[in-house]
Amino acid sequence: MNLKNILREVRLKKKLTQEELGFSVGVSRQTIISIENYKYKPSLELAMKLSMALNCKVDKLFYFEKDN
Amino acid sequence: MILSKKEVSITIEIGFSILFAVFFLPYFFENRLSSFEFVQDISFLSEVWVKIIQMIVFSIIYYSISYTLLEIIFKEKNIKDERDDMISSKAYKLGFRLYELSLFVLIGILLSNSSIQNSGAIMFFILVLLLGVLLIKSVYQLYLYRTS
Repeated sequence: MNLKNILREVRLKKKLTQEELGFSVGVSRQTIISIENYKYKPSLELAMKLSMALNCKVDKLFYFEKDN
Repeated sequence: MILSKKEVSITIEIGFSILFAVFFLPYFFENRLSSFEFVQDISFLSEVWVKIIQMIVFSIIYYSISYTLLEIIFKEKNIKDERDDMISSKAYKLGFRLYELSLFVLIGILLSNSSIQNSGAIMFFILVLLLGVLLIKSVYQLYLYRTS
């Protein structure tokens, strides 16, 4: 199972830039880019912070996708 | 290829390793010690001190210029987060394993080959080893920043 997310969609809906979102949760823009591109799996703490910053439940923001 | 501020700072470290190898390693190769007799040789000892001071001055000048330029070019504040910690821990892990492995190999070579033991190049080999590991660690760190 692969960990996926809808971070980009939710962020764009909230009209936030990657830099603004990163600043609000205390990480760099590059970290937000990596999470959005599924290259980096955030810690539980960061996932919770992102969910609070975007006002979106953590299990909605991050989900598992079954392998084909 | 656009590099971020962190990636540029790692490139600066790589540049330092390469320049250090080019400017200072030949000296250590030419003056490799045949024994620890050098302790009694005052002129050689003062020469080594001059070289060490040169290395320190070179490091200060190199890093001052590089990081000043970096701060001028990249105005953004450097935020250190969990991804940086993850990348640096992976890179240091690789560096430590490589250093451990190469030290074992070096000790093995030294024990099995007496001609190397007497050539006095042990210090030089250890220096090359340290520099090599540092270079590989930085390159791997840069690779992780680009890919993860």
